[in-house]
Amino acid sequence: MIVCVAVVGHQNNPLYIQSFTEADDALKLHHIVHCSLDVVDERVNNPKKSGLTLNETFLGLLYPTENYKVYGYLTNTKVKFILVTTDLDVRDADVRNFFRRFHAAYVDAVSNPFHVPGKKITSRTLAERVSNIVKSFGLSSAG
Amino acid sequence: MGREVSESCIDSLLTEMVSSYCNRFYSNTPELAARRIEAIGYQVGHQLSERYTMERPRFTEHLEAIKFICKDFWSELFKKQIDNLKTNHRGTFVLQDNKFRWLSRMSGDPSVENGTQDPESKAAQAMSMYLYFPCGIIRGALSNLGIPCAVSADISSLPAYAVSYCTALLLCVHLKMLYLLIMKLVALNPLVHLPSLFCLQLLLSVEIPYNNRWVHVLLKPFVLDLAL
Repeated sequence: MIVCVAVVGHQNNPLYIQSFTEADDALKLHHIVHCSLDVVDERVNNPKKSGLTLNETFLGLLYPTENYKVYGYLTNTKVKFILVTTDLDVRDADVRNFFRRFHAAYVDAVSNPFHVPGKKITSRTLAERVSNIVKSFGLSSAG
Repeated sequence: MGREVSESCIDSLLTEMVSSYCNRFYSNTPELAARRIEAIGYQVGHQLSERYTMERPRFTEHLEAIKFICKDFWSELFKKQIDNLKTNHRGTFVLQDNKFRWLSRMSGDPSVENGTQDPESKAAQAMSMYLYFPCGIIRGALSNLGIPCAVSADISSLPAYAVSYCTALLLCVHLKMLYLLIMKLVALNPLVHLPSLFCLQLLLSVEIPYNNRWVHVLLKPFVLDLAL
Protein backbone atom coordinates (compact mmCIF):
# COMPACT_ATOMS: atom_id res chain seq x y z
CA MET A 1 0.00 0.00 0.00
CA ILE A 2 1.23 3.48 -0.83
CA VAL A 3 1.37 5.55 2.32
CA CYS A 4 2.76 8.81 0.99
CA VAL A 5 3.52 10.61 -2.24
CA ALA A 6 5.29 13.93 -2.66
CA VAL A 7 6.41 16.39 -5.29
CA VAL A 8 9.46 18.47 -4.42
CA GLY A 9 10.65 21.45 -6.46
CA HIS A 10 14.12 22.07 -7.78
CA GLN A 11 15.15 24.04 -4.70
CA ASN A 12 13.93 21.21 -2.49
CA ASN A 13 10.78 23.14 -1.73
CA PRO A 14 7.73 20.95 -1.18
CA LEU A 15 5.13 21.44 -3.91
CA TYR A 16 2.70 18.73 -3.02
CA ILE A 17 2.70 16.13 -0.27
CA GLN A 18 -0.07 13.76 0.54
CA SER A 19 -0.19 10.83 2.92
CA PHE A 20 -2.70 8.02 2.65
CA THR A 21 -2.77 6.57 6.15
CA GLU A 22 -5.44 6.54 8.80
CA ALA A 23 -3.00 6.98 11.63
CA ASP A 24 -1.56 10.33 12.61
CA ASP A 25 1.91 9.76 11.25
CA ALA A 26 2.11 12.52 8.66
CA LEU A 27 5.13 14.03 10.38
CA LYS A 28 7.04 10.77 10.25
CA LEU A 29 6.26 10.35 6.56
CA HIS A 30 7.31 13.91 5.84
CA HIS A 31 10.55 13.17 7.59
CA ILE A 32 11.11 10.11 5.40
CA VAL A 33 10.45 12.16 2.28
CA HIS A 34 12.81 14.84 3.54
CA CYS A 35 15.59 12.29 4.10
CA SER A 36 15.09 10.82 0.67
CA LEU A 37 16.02 14.15 -0.95
CA ASP A 38 19.63 13.67 0.14
CA VAL A 39 19.66 10.26 -1.48
CA VAL A 40 18.31 11.75 -4.71
CA ASP A 41 21.06 14.37 -4.68
CA GLU A 42 23.66 11.72 -4.09
CA ARG A 43 22.41 9.58 -6.93
CA VAL A 44 22.34 12.45 -9.35
CA ASN A 45 25.77 13.76 -8.45
CA ASN A 46 27.51 10.37 -8.51
CA PRO A 47 25.75 8.51 -11.28
CA LYS A 48 28.60 6.02 -11.68
CA LYS A 49 28.67 4.85 -8.11
CA SER A 50 24.98 4.15 -7.98
CA GLY A 51 25.01 2.50 -11.40
CA LEU A 52 22.30 4.70 -12.74
CA THR A 53 21.70 3.93 -16.39
CA LEU A 54 21.71 6.74 -18.89
CA ASN A 55 20.16 9.53 -16.85
CA GLU A 56 16.85 7.89 -16.61
CA THR A 57 14.15 9.88 -14.88
CA PHE A 58 13.26 6.90 -12.72
CA LEU A 59 15.78 6.63 -9.91
CA GLY A 60 14.68 3.30 -8.50
CA LEU A 61 14.62 2.29 -4.87
CA LEU A 62 16.21 5.11 -2.91
CA TYR A 63 16.46 3.36 0.41
CA PRO A 64 14.53 0.84 2.46
CA THR A 65 13.59 1.55 6.07
CA GLU A 66 12.20 -0.94 8.54
CA ASN A 67 8.64 -0.54 7.43
CA TYR A 68 8.81 1.38 4.18
CA LYS A 69 10.38 1.42 0.78
CA VAL A 70 11.12 4.78 -0.80
CA TYR A 71 11.25 5.27 -4.55
CA GLY A 72 12.34 8.37 -6.43
CA TYR A 73 11.86 9.99 -9.80
CA LEU A 74 13.62 13.10 -11.09
CA THR A 75 12.40 15.08 -14.07
CA ASN A 76 14.35 17.15 -16.53
CA THR A 77 13.19 20.24 -14.74
CA LYS A 78 14.71 19.01 -11.46
CA VAL A 79 11.37 18.26 -9.88
CA LYS A 80 11.47 15.22 -7.63
CA PHE A 81 8.69 12.74 -7.13
CA ILE A 82 8.86 10.56 -4.05
CA LEU A 83 6.83 7.47 -3.31
CA VAL A 84 6.70 5.77 0.08
CA THR A 85 5.13 2.33 0.20
CA THR A 86 4.71 -0.45 2.74
CA ASP A 87 4.63 -3.22 0.13
CA LEU A 88 7.63 -5.47 0.40
CA ASP A 89 7.65 -6.96 -3.07
CA VAL A 90 6.98 -4.21 -5.54
CA ARG A 91 7.52 -4.70 -9.23
CA ASP A 92 9.70 -2.08 -10.89
CA ALA A 93 7.33 -1.77 -13.83
CA ASP A 94 4.47 -0.89 -11.51
CA VAL A 95 6.45 1.88 -9.88
CA ARG A 96 7.58 3.24 -13.24
CA ASN A 97 4.01 3.24 -14.43
CA PHE A 98 2.90 4.99 -11.26
CA PHE A 99 5.50 7.71 -11.65
CA ARG A 100 4.64 8.23 -15.30
CA ARG A 101 1.00 8.82 -14.50
CA PHE A 102 1.86 10.91 -11.46
CA HIS A 103 4.15 13.05 -13.59
CA ALA A 104 1.42 13.52 -16.21
CA ALA A 105 -1.01 14.60 -13.49
CA TYR A 106 1.55 17.04 -12.11
CA VAL A 107 2.24 18.53 -15.55
CA ASP A 108 -1.45 19.06 -16.12
CA ALA A 109 -1.74 20.76 -12.75
CA VAL A 110 1.15 23.18 -13.28
CA SER A 111 -0.05 24.01 -16.78
CA ASN A 112 -2.91 25.85 -15.16
CA PRO A 113 -2.27 29.50 -16.00
CA PHE A 114 -3.31 30.51 -12.48
CA HIS A 115 -0.70 28.32 -10.88
CA VAL A 116 2.36 30.27 -9.74
CA PRO A 117 5.54 28.28 -10.44
CA GLY A 118 7.33 27.29 -7.24
CA LYS A 119 4.27 27.63 -5.06
CA LYS A 120 2.42 24.75 -3.44
CA ILE A 121 -0.09 23.04 -5.68
CA THR A 122 -3.56 23.31 -4.21
CA SER A 123 -5.45 21.90 -7.17
CA ARG A 124 -8.33 19.66 -6.14
CA THR A 125 -8.24 17.92 -9.50
CA LEU A 126 -4.66 16.90 -8.88
CA ALA A 127 -5.54 15.52 -5.43
CA GLU A 128 -8.35 13.51 -6.97
CA ARG A 129 -6.25 12.17 -9.80
CA VAL A 130 -3.40 11.25 -7.49
CA SER A 131 -5.67 9.37 -5.14
CA ASN A 132 -7.06 7.48 -8.14
CA ILE A 133 -3.57 6.59 -9.30
CA VAL A 134 -2.65 5.50 -5.80
CA LYS A 135 -5.74 3.30 -5.60
CA SER A 136 -5.06 1.67 -8.96
CA PHE A 137 -1.44 1.08 -7.96
CA GLY A 138 -2.63 -1.14 -5.14
CA LEU A 139 -4.85 -3.07 -7.56
CA SER A 140 -2.29 -3.67 -10.29
CA SER A 141 0.37 -4.86 -7.86
CA ALA A 142 -2.09 -7.22 -6.21
CA GLY A 143 -3.28 -8.63 -9.49
CA MET B 1 -2.96 13.48 -28.40
CA GLY B 2 -3.46 17.05 -27.33
CA ARG B 3 -6.14 19.42 -28.41
CA GLU B 4 -5.27 21.75 -31.23
CA VAL B 5 -6.17 25.25 -32.29
CA SER B 6 -5.83 26.77 -35.70
CA GLU B 7 -2.65 28.60 -36.46
CA SER B 8 -4.39 31.80 -37.44
CA CYS B 9 -5.75 31.99 -33.88
CA ILE B 10 -2.23 32.02 -32.51
CA ASP B 11 -1.22 34.63 -35.05
CA SER B 12 -4.04 36.96 -34.20
CA LEU B 13 -3.62 36.35 -30.47
CA LEU B 14 0.01 37.37 -30.72
CA THR B 15 -0.75 40.49 -32.73
CA GLU B 16 -3.59 41.44 -30.45
CA MET B 17 -1.48 40.90 -27.32
CA VAL B 18 1.32 43.07 -28.63
CA SER B 19 -1.03 45.81 -29.75
CA SER B 20 -2.94 45.77 -26.44
CA TYR B 21 0.19 46.08 -24.36
CA CYS B 22 1.87 48.61 -26.62
CA ASN B 23 -1.08 50.82 -27.46
CA ARG B 24 -3.44 50.44 -24.56
CA PHE B 25 -1.94 49.28 -21.25
CA TYR B 26 1.54 50.74 -21.54
CA SER B 27 1.25 53.15 -24.41
CA ASN B 28 3.70 55.61 -22.82
CA THR B 29 6.32 53.14 -21.72
CA PRO B 30 7.24 50.67 -24.48
CA GLU B 31 10.03 49.11 -22.35
CA LEU B 32 7.48 48.16 -19.73
CA ALA B 33 5.18 46.68 -22.36
CA ALA B 34 8.09 44.63 -23.71
CA ARG B 35 8.90 43.38 -20.21
CA ARG B 36 5.29 42.38 -19.59
CA ILE B 37 5.04 40.49 -22.88
CA GLU B 38 8.32 38.77 -22.18
CA ALA B 39 7.05 37.75 -18.73
CA ILE B 40 3.96 36.17 -20.25
CA GLY B 41 6.20 34.25 -22.63
CA TYR B 42 8.36 33.18 -19.71
CA GLN B 43 5.48 31.52 -17.93
CA VAL B 44 4.29 29.84 -21.11
CA GLY B 45 7.76 28.50 -21.82
CA HIS B 46 8.13 27.36 -18.24
CA GLN B 47 4.97 25.28 -18.45
CA LEU B 48 5.55 24.01 -21.98
CA SER B 49 9.04 22.75 -21.18
CA GLU B 50 7.60 20.80 -18.27
CA ARG B 51 5.25 19.05 -20.65
CA TYR B 52 7.55 18.49 -23.60
CA THR B 53 10.38 16.98 -21.55
CA MET B 54 8.09 14.50 -19.87
CA GLU B 55 9.11 11.32 -21.68
CA ARG B 56 12.78 12.12 -22.05
CA PRO B 57 15.88 11.04 -20.18
CA ARG B 58 17.46 13.83 -18.18
CA PHE B 59 19.89 16.17 -19.89
CA THR B 60 23.46 15.89 -18.70
CA GLU B 61 24.85 19.11 -20.14
CA HIS B 62 23.71 22.45 -21.45
CA LEU B 63 24.31 21.56 -25.07
CA GLU B 64 21.82 18.72 -24.83
CA ALA B 65 19.16 21.04 -23.48
CA ILE B 66 19.91 23.55 -26.23
CA LYS B 67 19.60 20.80 -28.81
CA PHE B 68 16.29 19.86 -27.33
CA ILE B 69 15.15 23.48 -27.72
CA CYS B 70 16.37 23.55 -31.31
CA LYS B 71 14.77 20.32 -32.39
CA ASP B 72 11.83 19.10 -30.37
CA PHE B 73 10.73 22.26 -28.63
CA TRP B 74 11.02 24.34 -31.78
CA SER B 75 9.06 21.84 -33.84
CA GLU B 76 6.35 21.68 -31.21
CA LEU B 77 6.05 25.46 -31.23
CA PHE B 78 6.81 26.41 -34.81
CA LYS B 79 6.36 23.10 -36.67
CA LYS B 80 9.91 23.16 -37.91
CA GLN B 81 13.41 22.79 -36.57
CA ILE B 82 16.06 25.43 -36.20
CA ASP B 83 18.02 25.92 -39.41
CA ASN B 84 21.35 26.73 -37.89
CA LEU B 85 22.88 26.55 -34.43
CA LYS B 86 26.13 28.31 -33.67
CA THR B 87 28.01 28.55 -30.42
CA ASN B 88 31.26 30.05 -29.17
CA HIS B 89 31.54 27.23 -26.58
CA ARG B 90 31.56 29.83 -23.83
CA GLY B 91 27.88 29.90 -23.22
CA THR B 92 26.58 31.90 -26.15
CA PHE B 93 24.30 30.15 -28.58
CA VAL B 94 22.93 31.59 -31.77
CA LEU B 95 19.82 29.96 -33.12
CA GLN B 96 18.89 30.86 -36.64
CA ASP B 97 15.50 30.26 -38.15
CA ASN B 98 15.24 31.11 -41.82
CA LYS B 99 11.50 31.12 -41.91
CA PHE B 100 10.20 32.10 -38.52
CA ARG B 101 6.62 30.99 -38.45
CA TRP B 102 5.16 33.76 -36.33
CA LEU B 103 6.59 36.50 -38.52
CA SER B 104 6.03 34.84 -41.85
CA ARG B 105 2.70 36.52 -42.42
CA MET B 106 3.73 39.98 -41.32
CA SER B 107 4.87 42.83 -43.47
CA GLY B 108 6.19 46.30 -42.77
CA ASP B 109 3.75 49.15 -42.91
CA PRO B 110 4.97 51.56 -45.57
CA SER B 111 2.48 54.24 -44.52
CA VAL B 112 4.30 54.99 -41.26
CA GLU B 113 7.54 55.68 -43.02
CA ASN B 114 9.21 58.99 -42.35
CA GLY B 115 12.17 60.07 -44.35
CA THR B 116 14.52 60.41 -41.38
CA GLN B 117 15.07 56.76 -40.58
CA ASP B 118 16.32 53.82 -42.51
CA PRO B 119 13.16 51.84 -43.42
CA GLU B 120 14.95 48.57 -42.80
CA SER B 121 15.67 49.39 -39.18
CA LYS B 122 12.22 50.85 -38.85
CA ALA B 123 10.57 47.61 -39.92
CA ALA B 124 12.94 45.63 -37.72
CA GLN B 125 11.98 47.84 -34.80
CA ALA B 126 8.29 47.25 -35.42
CA MET B 127 8.89 43.49 -35.65
CA SER B 128 10.97 43.37 -32.50
CA MET B 129 7.89 43.95 -30.36
CA TYR B 130 6.49 40.69 -31.68
CA LEU B 131 9.66 38.83 -30.77
CA TYR B 132 9.54 39.47 -27.04
CA PHE B 133 6.94 36.76 -26.58
CA PRO B 134 8.89 33.94 -28.30
CA CYS B 135 12.04 35.17 -26.54
CA GLY B 136 10.25 34.84 -23.23
CA ILE B 137 9.12 31.35 -24.13
CA ILE B 138 12.67 30.23 -24.86
CA ARG B 139 13.99 31.86 -21.69
CA GLY B 140 11.26 30.23 -19.60
CA ALA B 141 11.95 26.82 -21.08
CA LEU B 142 15.70 27.07 -20.58
CA SER B 143 15.50 28.35 -17.04
CA ASN B 144 13.09 25.58 -16.14
CA LEU B 145 15.65 23.14 -17.50
CA GLY B 146 18.19 24.63 -15.10
CA ILE B 147 19.89 27.11 -17.45
CA PRO B 148 19.36 30.68 -16.30
CA CYS B 149 19.90 32.81 -19.37
CA ALA B 150 19.07 35.92 -21.31
CA VAL B 151 17.45 35.58 -24.71
CA SER B 152 17.34 38.28 -27.32
CA ALA B 153 16.17 38.27 -30.90
CA ASP B 154 17.84 39.90 -33.82
CA ILE B 155 16.22 40.36 -37.19
CA SER B 156 18.94 42.40 -38.77
CA SER B 157 19.97 39.69 -41.16
CA LEU B 158 17.16 40.06 -43.62
CA PRO B 159 17.59 36.97 -45.81
CA ALA B 160 17.08 34.93 -42.67
CA TYR B 161 13.44 35.89 -42.61
CA ALA B 162 10.35 34.93 -44.41
CA VAL B 163 9.87 35.57 -48.07
CA SER B 164 6.84 37.75 -47.56
CA TYR B 165 8.78 39.82 -45.06
CA CYS B 166 11.63 40.32 -47.49
CA THR B 167 9.37 41.51 -50.25
CA ALA B 168 7.69 43.90 -47.88
CA LEU B 169 11.01 45.38 -46.91
CA LEU B 170 12.05 45.56 -50.49
CA LEU B 171 8.90 47.50 -51.07
CA CYS B 172 9.84 49.90 -48.31
CA VAL B 173 13.29 50.44 -49.69
CA HIS B 174 12.02 51.08 -53.16
CA LEU B 175 9.39 53.45 -51.96
CA LYS B 176 11.90 55.36 -49.96
CA MET B 177 14.23 55.74 -52.88
CA LEU B 178 11.35 56.91 -54.93
CA TYR B 179 10.32 59.33 -52.23
CA LEU B 180 13.79 60.79 -51.95
CA LEU B 181 14.01 61.15 -55.67
CA ILE B 182 10.73 62.98 -55.80
CA MET B 183 11.65 65.21 -52.88
CA LYS B 184 14.91 66.11 -54.51
CA LEU B 185 13.15 67.04 -57.71
CA VAL B 186 10.43 68.90 -55.89
CA ALA B 187 13.13 70.99 -54.26
CA LEU B 188 14.26 71.98 -57.71
CA ASN B 189 10.86 72.64 -59.13
CA PRO B 190 7.97 72.44 -56.68
CA LEU B 191 5.02 73.04 -58.90
CA VAL B 192 5.56 70.53 -61.64
CA HIS B 193 5.61 67.55 -59.40
CA LEU B 194 2.55 68.09 -57.32
CA PRO B 195 0.53 65.41 -59.15
CA SER B 196 3.37 62.96 -58.71
CA LEU B 197 3.52 63.74 -55.04
CA PHE B 198 -0.15 63.12 -54.79
CA CYS B 199 0.30 59.74 -56.49
CA LEU B 200 3.07 58.89 -54.08
CA GLN B 201 0.93 59.85 -51.13
CA LEU B 202 -1.71 57.50 -52.42
CA LEU B 203 0.83 54.77 -52.93
CA LEU B 204 2.17 55.20 -49.42
CA SER B 205 -1.06 55.43 -47.56
CA VAL B 206 -3.29 52.81 -49.16
CA GLU B 207 -0.53 50.23 -49.53
CA ILE B 208 -1.03 49.33 -53.15
CA PRO B 209 1.07 46.27 -53.90
CA TYR B 210 4.33 47.22 -55.43
CA ASN B 211 4.72 46.58 -59.12
CA ASN B 212 6.96 47.94 -61.76
CA ARG B 213 4.28 49.57 -63.83
CA TRP B 214 3.37 52.03 -61.14
CA VAL B 215 6.88 53.10 -60.60
CA HIS B 216 7.34 53.61 -64.28
CA VAL B 217 4.32 55.80 -64.38
CA LEU B 218 5.68 57.85 -61.53
CA LEU B 219 9.21 57.98 -62.78
CA LYS B 220 8.48 58.96 -66.31
CA PRO B 221 7.98 62.69 -65.67
CA PHE B 222 11.22 62.84 -63.69
CA VAL B 223 13.17 61.22 -66.40
CA LEU B 224 11.81 63.80 -68.78
CA ASP B 225 12.62 66.52 -66.29
CA LEU B 226 16.13 65.34 -65.77
CA ALA B 227 16.66 65.32 -69.47
CA LEU B 228 15.55 68.93 -69.59
